[in-house]
Amino acid sequence: MEELSVHSREEKNVEEIARRFVPYGGRKKSPLGFYLAMDLSPIQKDLASKCYSAVADTCDDLMLKLASRGIRYQDEWPFAIHLLGHVFANDLNSARFLWKSIPLEIKESRPEIVAVWKIGQCLWTRDYAGVYDAIRGFDWSAEITAMVVAFSENYTKKMFQMLNSAYSTISVTDVAHFLGMSEDRAIDYALQHGWKLDSSCKMVIVKKPKTVTERKLDPSKLQRLTEYVFHLEH
Amino acid sequence: MESVEVLVAHIQGLSRSPDEVSHLHSLLKQSEDALRSHASRLAPFLSQLDPSIHTLGYLFLLEAYSSGSISGEEASGFLLTVVEFINSCSAEQIQLAPEKFISVCKSFKDQVMQLGVPMQGIAPLWMAVRKLQTSTEQLTTLHSDYLLLCLLAKCYKAGLSILDDDIFEVDHPRDHFLYCYYGGMINIGLKRFEKALACLHNVVTAPMTTLNAICVEAYKKYILVSLILNGQVPSFPKYTSSAAHRNLKNYTQPYVDLANFYASGKFSELEACIQTNQEKFLSDSNLGLVKQVLSSLYKRNIQRLTQTYLTLSLQDIANVAQLNNPKEAEMHVLQMIQDGEIFATINQKDGMVSFHEDPEQYKSCRMTEHIDFSIQRLMALSKKLSSLDDNLSCDPQYLSKVGKERQKFDFDEFDSVSHKFM
Repeated sequence: MEELSVHSREEKNVEEIARRFVPYGGRKKSPLGFYLAMDLSPIQKDLASKCYSAVADTCDDLMLKLASRGIRYQDEWPFAIHLLGHVFANDLNSARFLWKSIPLEIKESRPEIVAVWKIGQCLWTRDYAGVYDAIRGFDWSAEITAMVVAFSENYTKKMFQMLNSAYSTISVTDVAHFLGMSEDRAIDYALQHGWKLDSSCKMVIVKKPKTVTERKLDPSKLQRLTEYVFHLEH
Repeated sequence: MESVEVLVAHIQGLSRSPDEVSHLHSLLKQSEDALRSHASRLAPFLSQLDPSIHTLGYLFLLEAYSSGSISGEEASGFLLTVVEFINSCSAEQIQLAPEKFISVCKSFKDQVMQLGVPMQGIAPLWMAVRKLQTSTEQLTTLHSDYLLLCLLAKCYKAGLSILDDDIFEVDHPRDHFLYCYYGGMINIGLKRFEKALACLHNVVTAPMTTLNAICVEAYKKYILVSLILNGQVPSFPKYTSSAAHRNLKNYTQPYVDLANFYASGKFSELEACIQTNQEKFLSDSNLGLVKQVLSSLYKRNIQRLTQTYLTLSLQDIANVAQLNNPKEAEMHVLQMIQDGEIFATINQKDGMVSFHEDPEQYKSCRMTEHIDFSIQRLMALSKKLSSLDDNLSCDPQYLSKVGKERQKFDFDEFDSVSHKFM
């Protein structure tokens, strides 16, 4: 009980300390960081509502805010989620820079961060099948599992779209390789999407989906055209 | 010290209305020397003021304090004070003494860099830029400091929020050079090569009477980015200054050589050139970019094929692009299709690649929106240019210069019409 009261008394002084220039040369943690817990609720809100594409921006903003207050946030910062946020948004440049800025001791003590980075690395080097191995090769913690699963589904869809646009015929082995599935499952997946199988040479024939592009114009366009003509005449 | 106490009392009393504040401003200006002489002892007085209400007074005291030397122990406390000040200060009062605000922010930036914590300065400097600007179109001295911190902390994405503003007003040329150079570097880091090229182009073609170091470094990167993006380096446009035109190539010879070898399309020659100049590239911190130029040569060679062939075998592509085997060629082509650099389909059964035209027909709604948006921007730019032109033609300096250079007309010329009817 006595300890609690000492803490609360010192908490009130924290604001004053921040205003005056109190030297803390030898200490590693700043006064603010030592007494106030980090408020990571914006990140947790994004995760709870499955807005995974917004996670990276939320993390960036919060990290800069904490850094500006001189708080040593690195020890408790959710680097794995932050990294995965960048990977999810396919912003591999930011993922690389974030990885470079993580202190070595943290990389060594938290294997989950290294595992997320492995996914990013495979994407960066275009090791398409390696991504699946990296996803499946780690026992993810409860916090991050849903996000990893969402990323994995997204990635499979994107790979399929890439195959659709780049190939007219492709071997079954390669399809299985790009989609991270067994050959039989890959064949089923492909047939479901309208592709045809040529079992003699184990090739699949790609059928490109018909893309319907919107072509209707609405009346507001007429208004804009009038503005353009007016501008050109004057 | 008494004078400082009196001053603090004035600050507390005279910060409510704009008239009071301007009266306070003149008092503060008179006391500048007194404040500087007490620089190291101003810390406790700051805690008596509220930065959001007494912004101007706080600013003068803070600036005087930062102009003195700050010891290592006080440094982190100083940083926290400045951060709090920037976050809570009133922008109107800042506008009354912008040079003082800039001076405080520069001391802040120097301290942050000295302590090796550039990330700490990013959020506060962003706020400082927004409060200092009269509009988002104005370039301030703090823009380049902000971008510098983003570069040092490797928070490149944070730089975009400032970089994406269109700038129309520049007060000091030096700000412009640094801003565009750092902007180019941030865009290179994020692989937005087109935007990087535009930024670097602005540095190289800016008006200058003599060449400066920023321009030379920018031109080196300009050559490399042009090669990566377009495969060639464009010649200087007409509006480039003669100083740049005549001298830039002399200071960047290894890069010009690189561009020439690139144009030949031969991988081995390019590699040899890079090998000979490796130390120079390394000392300029451009080696990473040079390596990207090398790998872009593959893409360039494959892209050239699309102009000649409709279909080509993977083996042939491997031969032309100097790759080891058809599978490597297939992976390269796949990457280029994924990145949208070519339009092609791979037929694994026959081992062939068919090249296509760009399937975009410019008929969709999305494309119309895009074109509309571009036209709107152009119209806004055109209006800005005409108003700029109008302002310039009313400018007294311009009119006096034009008046002096006008030739005196002969009397006869005025009569040209009436002669006909005589």
